[in-house]
Order: sequence, then C-alpha cells, then structure tokens
Amino acid sequence: MVGGGVIQQILRRKLHSPSLATPVRSWFSSKTAHVDTGSSGVRAFALLGAGVTGLLSFSTVASADEAEHGLACPDYPWPHDGILSSYDHASIRRGHQVYQQVCASCHSMSLISYRDLVGVAYTEEEAKAMAAEIEVVDGPNDEGEMFTRPGKLSDRLPQPYANESAARFANGGAYPPDLSLITKARHNGQNYVFALLTGYRDPPAGISIREGLHYNPYFPGGAIAMPKMLNDEAVEYEDGVPATEAQMGKDVVSFLSWAAEPEMEERKLMGFKWIFLLSLALLQAAYYRRLKWSVLKSRKLVLDVVN
Amino acid sequence: MRFGEIELQHLGFIHHLAISQRRLRSFLSNFTMADVEVVDPKKCLEESCKPKCVKPLLEYQACVKRVQGDESGHKHCTGQYFDYWQCVDKCVGPKLFAELK
Repeated sequence: MVGGGVIQQILRRKLHSPSLATPVRSWFSSKTAHVDTGSSGVRAFALLGAGVTGLLSFSTVASADEAEHGLACPDYPWPHDGILSSYDHASIRRGHQVYQQVCASCHSMSLISYRDLVGVAYTEEEAKAMAAEIEVVDGPNDEGEMFTRPGKLSDRLPQPYANESAARFANGGAYPPDLSLITKARHNGQNYVFALLTGYRDPPAGISIREGLHYNPYFPGGAIAMPKMLNDEAVEYEDGVPATEAQMGKDVVSFLSWAAEPEMEERKLMGFKWIFLLSLALLQAAYYRRLKWSVLKSRKLVLDVVN
Repeated sequence: MRFGEIELQHLGFIHHLAISQRRLRSFLSNFTMADVEVVDPKKCLEESCKPKCVKPLLEYQACVKRVQGDESGHKHCTGQYFDYWQCVDKCVGPKLFAELK
C-alpha cells in the first residue's frame, strides 16, 4: 500500500519537476543517483529508474517493518501443551534454580511467594530453608522501628532493586521487567521468551548496534539491553542434568510459565470435566426439546379448499 | 569400567599393542560423564538444518556481498537474514525438545 502510493508520488514528481536528483534522494537512499538531467530523452529512463527505486524502497520499508516486529518465533512442543498435560515439575525446579542464579540479580518476581513453590518445585522444608536465606524488612516493632528478619514462607521473592528508577539506573536506562507474568504479557510468550534467551546472534550485514545494547532478532527492533545470559554450564543442576543453553532456556521458561499460570493444571482438569458434562447436558437438552416439540412438529394440517 | 574389560577381550588387536589392562582402564576413566564437554543441542541442530535452508542462506550471502561496498550506511540484509533464520527455526523447532530432558 505504502509502496504503491510512494511510487505514484515519485512518478508525478518525475513528470513535473526538472531536477530529479533531490526528490530521489529525499525519498530513498539507494542506487539510482545517476539521474540528474531534465532532458526528455533521459526522462523515460528516469521513470523506469523511479519505478525500480519505488520497488526497492518498498523492500527497504518492508524490512524495516520486519526488524520492528522482530523475527517470528517458532512453536516449540512444550511438554505442558496438551489438553490434559501437566507441567514438568522437575523442569520447574531446575528453572527456579536458573532464575535464582542467573536472572534474579536484575529481574524481580514480586508476585511469587516462597509458599507458592511448596508442592510445585520444593518441599516445605526446602522452601523454608530458601526463604530463611534472605533478609526481609519488617516492622514497625513496639519501639516504632523497622527491623530486618530472615525470610518466611509467606514472604515474596526478593527484589533486586528498590524501585524502577534504581533498576533503570543500574541497567543503562532500561528496566528489566518483572517476570511474574512475562509469558502471558508477551505475544506467544513461552515460545518468545525461549527464542529470545537462546537467540542471541551476530547481527546481519549492515546492522550495527550501539555500545551498551546487544543484537537479538526476536526482540522488536533488534537491539536489546540485556546481554546473553544463558551460556553452557552457567548453572550446575542439582539433579545432574547437563546445563546446556537450550536446557536452561527450556527449564526457565517452564518455571516462568508456571509462575504466570500456576492454576493451569487445575484449570485443564476442570475444563475437561465441565466440557464433558456440558456435552452430555447438551445431548439431554436436545432430546428433551425435541420430545416436547414433537407434538407440534408431527401435527397434520388439512386445507379445506373452497372451489 | 567393566565395559572396558569386555571391550579389551573382544578387540583382538589390542593384544598386539603393549597396553596393559590397568593403563587402558585409566585411559577410559578420562571419559566419564563429568569430563564430557556439553554440546548445546540447539547449536547442533541449527548446523544440521543448514543444508535444508541453503537457498535463503545463499540469498543472504549475496546480500552481504552487495552491502559490503555500501558507504551510505542505510543498506542492510535484515530481510534475507530473517528469511534464513525463519527457515532454520522451522526446522529446529519440532526436533529440539526431544534432545532435552
């Protein structure tokens, strides 16, 4: 659409204006810059050049859009994808370990409490021990002072920064988003986060990223403030699973999916149960309706025709 | 390590090499799970999917050549790059999780 309108405007300008160089350069930055005389003999060639330029510019516009939206992420076959599939809880446990050791230094998860992990990834004792490792500000006490105490199950996961401004200041102006709902907060969240974390690559030819940013094709615009965090064996898993980049990515996304949708398993069970029961109810209702209407549907009307 | 001994018995030619059983066992113990270098399955699969996506790869390389001489700084190969990586991703996607725990 845009390309077509652009081509029309360029053709109009080419026909009317004697100087051809400036409109060309002001609209596109491409090759046909050798057209700069107004003689009619060259005009046909100029029009052809404009058409070609229009087409080329259209492709430039299209690829600018491509980088803007980011590379589309593929669909991965997550183990919890099926209609009756639960989370891989071992994966959630490993994912939490990855979060704690790799991500928690910058990303908060302020909606998750330690007690949410009990029965999902850790036993109660393990979760209590993990909570006790952190210091929490509590109070005021009887003397009116705030004090610090070791964490309890009811405490939220610790925040790396006091507030958004501190987070931005420590990260070159970029705010590392809270990850509690990230897989729901991004389109195709699970696949997107996995693709993003494992998708750090060298930029394409002609693209340069400024100092302080990194190239990631999946990130809208291509320039992300977060460096590549998942590297082989960055974490040593408790259960001995080899911690490759892809493995850590899968586990951390399983953890983030659980964090965003902890009710998923119950929801699927409820959904399956109620859809089944309501289908039976539908069949029953259909039968009952047809039973009641059968009286009217099977009546005979006799037309007495008067000649 | 018992595996090593069985191997030793079956490979007749080892008798011709003057390697004692003890030295063979210590040689094999260097390759326990802890010492094996982990290879990222995603990188591996992306390499193996390259032949399937040769066409977009060649398009990208052609674009790189065209862009190399550019002085304006506006030319780039994002389109071809995306086409190539989209092809590779489509190939890797269904297979990757089978390689992971």
